[in-house]
Amino acid sequence: MTAPSGASVGAVRDVPTARASIVSLSDVHRDYPIGAELVHALRGVSLEVERGDYVSIVGPSGCGKSTLLNLVGVIDQPTSGTVAIAGKRVDAMTDREATSFRLHNIGFVFQRFYLMPTLSALENVELPMAEAKVSARERNARAAKLLEYVGLGARQHHRPSELSGGEQQRVAIARALANRPALMLADEPTGERDAKTGAEIIALFRQLNADGTTMIVVTHDEDLANAARRKIHMRDGRIVQE
Amino acid sequence: MLLTVLSFALLIQTPQGAPRTIAIDEAFASQAHLKVGDRVTLSARPDTPADSAEVVIVGAIARRGADPSEVARGDYVVRMHLDQLQRIAGYGDRVDRFAIATRPSADVGRTLEQINHVAFGFRAYRSKDIAVETSRTFQVVSRFHRAIGIITIVASSIFLLCIMVLKVEERRRDIAALRLMGISRLSVVRSIVIEAGLVAVLGSVLGIVIGWVVSLVVNWHYQALYRTPLYFSIITPSIVAFAVALSLVLGIGAGLVASARLARTPPLALFGR
Ligand SMILES: Nc1ncnc2c1ncn2[C@@H]1O[C@H](COP(=O)(O)OP(=O)(O)O)[C@@H](O)[C@H]1O
Ligand SMILES: [Mg+2]
Repeated sequence: MTAPSGASVGAVRDVPTARASIVSLSDVHRDYPIGAELVHALRGVSLEVERGDYVSIVGPSGCGKSTLLNLVGVIDQPTSGTVAIAGKRVDAMTDREATSFRLHNIGFVFQRFYLMPTLSALENVELPMAEAKVSARERNARAAKLLEYVGLGARQHHRPSELSGGEQQRVAIARALANRPALMLADEPTGERDAKTGAEIIALFRQLNADGTTMIVVTHDEDLANAARRKIHMRDGRIVQE
Repeated sequence: MLLTVLSFALLIQTPQGAPRTIAIDEAFASQAHLKVGDRVTLSARPDTPADSAEVVIVGAIARRGADPSEVARGDYVVRMHLDQLQRIAGYGDRVDRFAIATRPSADVGRTLEQINHVAFGFRAYRSKDIAVETSRTFQVVSRFHRAIGIITIVASSIFLLCIMVLKVEERRRDIAALRLMGISRLSVVRSIVIEAGLVAVLGSVLGIVIGWVVSLVVNWHYQALYRTPLYFSIITPSIVAFAVALSLVLGIGAGLVASARLARTPPLALFGR
């Protein structure tokens, strides 16, 4: 597979690919230079994730889970090896290509939600759609629907500061879904949150996956990890066990 | 009638004969507790004998003109008939200075030339040139003001830039999250610059309103203090335009500098890991 550099980056959800894999990593290394030393965060990871799958990645702190997720999310690039998402090489994209690719294909949920404090829940969800040039009317309708989907239909016009932590995380999930990404990535989405919120997120992710979104979740949370169809164990920058 | 400034001794007098009238200025009137119709005795010196002094009636109280050179003067101004002035002053039929008013359509340059050509012993100047001569002090003061203004603007621009960089820096993580979501650098910079521009416009509107109110208070206070219609503080359309333009340029410039700095940083680095 060659990198289609300069090719336009569009939504890939409905584009049929030769393979069933939506994520394809081959012998991926990621080194971080720390002074004169190199930290080998990933030491040869190969991974295929099928469309519609639900994968959890677990392992001790510092084993490279976030590094792996960042590569899949096209917010970082490997030192060597190839990363393809939906049949498209993403490991050597320019910043502009990568940004547009993320906008249309990938939904991120982080441990912290980073909602815009001055915008309402609805406006926060509309933001990525505005960037994708979705019309105002459609934006509004879709954002309202997404908030309803995550159970916040009645909270549309609240500012993040007027919402509980769990509610804010659900707004962030709705925002991640804004441009109908084929791939949803979550890095410790239940971290720092109480059990009830954790359970809500687990249920929501399950629902999302059932509705067709491919999910990759990095977590310490046993329940969340076990909710996935596939559980990948990492250690020292390698996948050690499925 | 001739406008002259003299120091006079004053005595309220009883009526005698048919006195003529004088005009005095407002400040004088209020300090000497004089009003129209009062009789006063005029003489050139305090020790002048009563028979050579002139008894006159205050016929008018004149407001001060909008002349900057009069504002800070402690002198009292008395206008009187020329012959009376000559008699009191013991000063012959001489005039030092007089003004000629021209019609708006008159060619002042040619008039000046003609006067200077024919009038022996006189030299005619435009009032503007005399004003320039007599307002050297004001020019120095206003240059000084301008220097203070420039220093203030430069200092506050640096301050503004720092605040802006700090404020935008506070949003590192928000910006990182936006970039991770797929919001382009251009959109991030644009939204911050638009916000900075709006703040700048809002700030300048607020500044103009405050400036306008302060200037009203300043004028009201000093016009009363110096009894003059002179404006001490004015806000002209060009000042307003300059202020808005300056704050827009500064605000947008600061927004650009601050946001471009962050937008250039890779989003993961913004999270500061
Ligand atoms: N930006 C970075 N610079 C230097 N080292 C990093 C950076 N990101 C991660 N690392 C290192 O790479 C290793 C894997 O990190 P990470 O993927 O965050 O682990 P995990 O998410 O599994 O806890 C760790 O040793 C970490 O210190
Ligand atoms: Mg991590």
